[in-house]
Amino acid sequence: MKHALTTLLCSLLAATGLQAQSTLRIRGSDTLGAKLIPSLAESFKKTGGKVSFDIAAEGSSTAFTNLAAGTAEIGMSSRKVKADERTLCRSKSIDLNEIELAWDMITVVVNKNNPVADLSKKQIMQIFAGDITDWSEVGGTPGPISVYTRNTSSGTYRDFMTMAMKGREYAKNSQKMAGNEQIAAEVGSNPNGIGYVGYAYAGARGIKVVTIGGDAPNPNAVKDYPLARPVFLYTNGQPAGNTKAFIDFCLSPAGAAIMTKAGFTPLGALK
Amino acid sequence: MPSDSTTPPGSLGSKILRRGRRTVLGMDPQGLIKNFFGANSSIAIIVLVLIMVFLLREGAGFLSTYHHELEIYRKAGLEFCDIADTPLKQQQSMASALRRALSMELEPLVKNARERRDAAFLYKRALDEKSAEGAAVFENSLLFTPGEKNQIKSEIAALTPESIDLPPTLQKLAAEFTEKDREAKKTFRAIIEAEEIFEEATEPVAEILDELKTHATETKEAANEFHTLEVGRQQLLGAAASAHGAEKDEFLKEAELSRVDAPDYAARIETILEQRDDLSKALGEYAAAVEEAVKPLQSDGLSPEAAKLIASVQKALPTHLNHIQNAARNLKAWKWDEPVSFWRAVSSFAFGTGWITNSSWQDFYGVVPLLTGSLLISFVALLIATPISVTAAIYTNQFATDREKELIKPVIEFIQAIPSVVLGFIGIAVVGDLIKGVSQWEFLSWIPGFPIQERLNIFNAGCLLAFMAVPTMFSLSEDALNNVPRSYAEASDALGATKLQTVFRVIVPAAISGILSAILLGLGRVIGETMVVLLVAGNRIAIPDFGDGLGVIFQPAHTLTGIIAQELGEVSRGSSHWQALFMVGILLFVISLSVNWCARTIAKRFEHSKA
Repeated sequence: MKHALTTLLCSLLAATGLQAQSTLRIRGSDTLGAKLIPSLAESFKKTGGKVSFDIAAEGSSTAFTNLAAGTAEIGMSSRKVKADERTLCRSKSIDLNEIELAWDMITVVVNKNNPVADLSKKQIMQIFAGDITDWSEVGGTPGPISVYTRNTSSGTYRDFMTMAMKGREYAKNSQKMAGNEQIAAEVGSNPNGIGYVGYAYAGARGIKVVTIGGDAPNPNAVKDYPLARPVFLYTNGQPAGNTKAFIDFCLSPAGAAIMTKAGFTPLGALK
Repeated sequence: MPSDSTTPPGSLGSKILRRGRRTVLGMDPQGLIKNFFGANSSIAIIVLVLIMVFLLREGAGFLSTYHHELEIYRKAGLEFCDIADTPLKQQQSMASALRRALSMELEPLVKNARERRDAAFLYKRALDEKSAEGAAVFENSLLFTPGEKNQIKSEIAALTPESIDLPPTLQKLAAEFTEKDREAKKTFRAIIEAEEIFEEATEPVAEILDELKTHATETKEAANEFHTLEVGRQQLLGAAASAHGAEKDEFLKEAELSRVDAPDYAARIETILEQRDDLSKALGEYAAAVEEAVKPLQSDGLSPEAAKLIASVQKALPTHLNHIQNAARNLKAWKWDEPVSFWRAVSSFAFGTGWITNSSWQDFYGVVPLLTGSLLISFVALLIATPISVTAAIYTNQFATDREKELIKPVIEFIQAIPSVVLGFIGIAVVGDLIKGVSQWEFLSWIPGFPIQERLNIFNAGCLLAFMAVPTMFSLSEDALNNVPRSYAEASDALGATKLQTVFRVIVPAAISGILSAILLGLGRVIGETMVVLLVAGNRIAIPDFGDGLGVIFQPAHTLTGIIAQELGEVSRGSSHWQALFMVGILLFVISLSVNWCARTIAKRFEHSKA
């Protein structure tokens, strides 16, 4: 009897403890979830938010599959929701609510020792779609081009397709890498490599950013850059409780400072 | 039983095992124990059957879902657009050849400026990679005056490892080249003009196609939305049928809310069909323009390489024009309401050459690129692992001393304990760079595919998988050699054979069935491995280019196992993509089963012939 009482007491305590420290499950984009959201979550906890975070970043598509399955409170996406994903959520009676979080720039990177420093928008499309296959075609040292892209679940994968390639398919010989870090590592080790990464990763070792028709990515003039895009958070219905507190924190000046540090442009700094 | 009371109490075991005492469910204790063991062994079979049922249940819907998607692909007019689009894609490779021919012709004119630029960049690369050889090449280079050399050296020395900006002299050299390049291009107006006409010729066609594509995509989206909501509505109606009262009304209301009209394919396709003649006409004009542009190209006075490229373009032209004509004909014959045969869904999965997912146009699930990737990697792995493991087994079993045996066997078997993800990291960090470094050695350049460009490739994955397969193949081969009856060796010895003769003429032939099945089981191990290939194979979803000969093994590839690991997390349950991945799973399962079955059959057949 005594044992039973203790067990009951313990489980009650544990339950109330869990109640106080609820978990916020965040799923989706690797661009957002690798650096930005974890550091925002860290600071949010420091400012007194009584929430534990469970963040998994495997590509924007996973934001919507998880929201639809009810396994996430917040979805991070580096692209707008697709029509069929909205329909999927609607069929599971999830009402998607979109929150613009910040702006990001996709930078095209080549090996540090590649003499090519500028590519036109058309050349970029042709390289990634596989029409241009040799560096000599764009004024570089002759050699076959190795194209590195993100994998298909990535929002950057699709954004790049719409913004830089007019919706064309990637070249068949492109290689699909799991994240920004991996693209940076492969381009950094292959003198004939080319790839794209979020602006936050553009300073990685061994790579350099090529300007697009003379435009270099510049956090102070984001909208002038041809490959700039907004990034989003998605929730089920209007956010409430902890979810709302966290999102409000992200959009506050304190959140904006963290975004700038992580290489994103907060909404307030847009021109 | 009265005698019981007189028996002294024995041990617990003797109590349980005593016959005829108690029965449970009509079985005595011995029967119970027997059945318990029997049940345990049948669990394995039951689990296997459950796995099969699960895979089939998830994957079974694939063919009908894919068939449905292909039907929408046709009805919405996407197929129509692709008929005209496909030949235009070939045109790009011709344009690419022209651009390369041009850059080769410009070569002699801009050579000096380019070499100066490249030499400076190569010197910087050599310093980055700490290659003394590369630095020496720069020192001995005649392209720069000593003053310039010192300038470049001091500027590069001043760089910090983090800086991305190039030193000023390097920037100047790059700018000089661009200027020279522009001047030189004036000399080769003919090729440049041909190339420009070539590229511009597609524009009218592309314009019409873009418009049609937007329209077709809208129809497709409407069709998909209708399908998703309709499935949900049917479910709600089904639930309503079995519910009562307020709940029933609730379901019916919800079902009514998700009612959408089916898209009117016939009306929407009209917009596309109206353009049919315009599109055919544009294609005709395109063909004429391209022919006009390529015909007058002269290969006289060009360098041999450029002449070869131009000749290749001229040779490819008739085929290209033929394809255009075919496309125009197919456009005329195309009917939107022609039913898609079910066989088409099967064949475009089993023989399709494109695995295109998350596309903004149309997803295709063709398994051939993944299958070739898996098979090539397994082949390379077996080629490496077989000689190593079989010879190691022969040595350990026949020649090694007892102390050597005690060392070799546990060490090889220990390899199995290394987690495959760790091997994957080794593959990226060590093996990849090693292979790449070795391939750049001058005296190895006769090997096809060398020097290699990608450090993540089929060969790299094959090496690591071979390493993983060795323990399986070694242990099983060693067992097979061990099972050869002692009398065989003794008989051979008695006939005066040497040790080597006994091993290679008697023991190995007698154990060959076991060795063969060991190799096959190793193949089963290799083809199902996931983590290593996902990390190391390079993930390129394309059929490797066999035109490279043996060099094909230095290309990146994607695999059946890798694609499941990479994509299953992202897809929504029950979608066509999800089902396609399960079909890939079924295919893998079938391959593994048949490999194991072959291994067993071989073992049995040779066993009989021996007897």
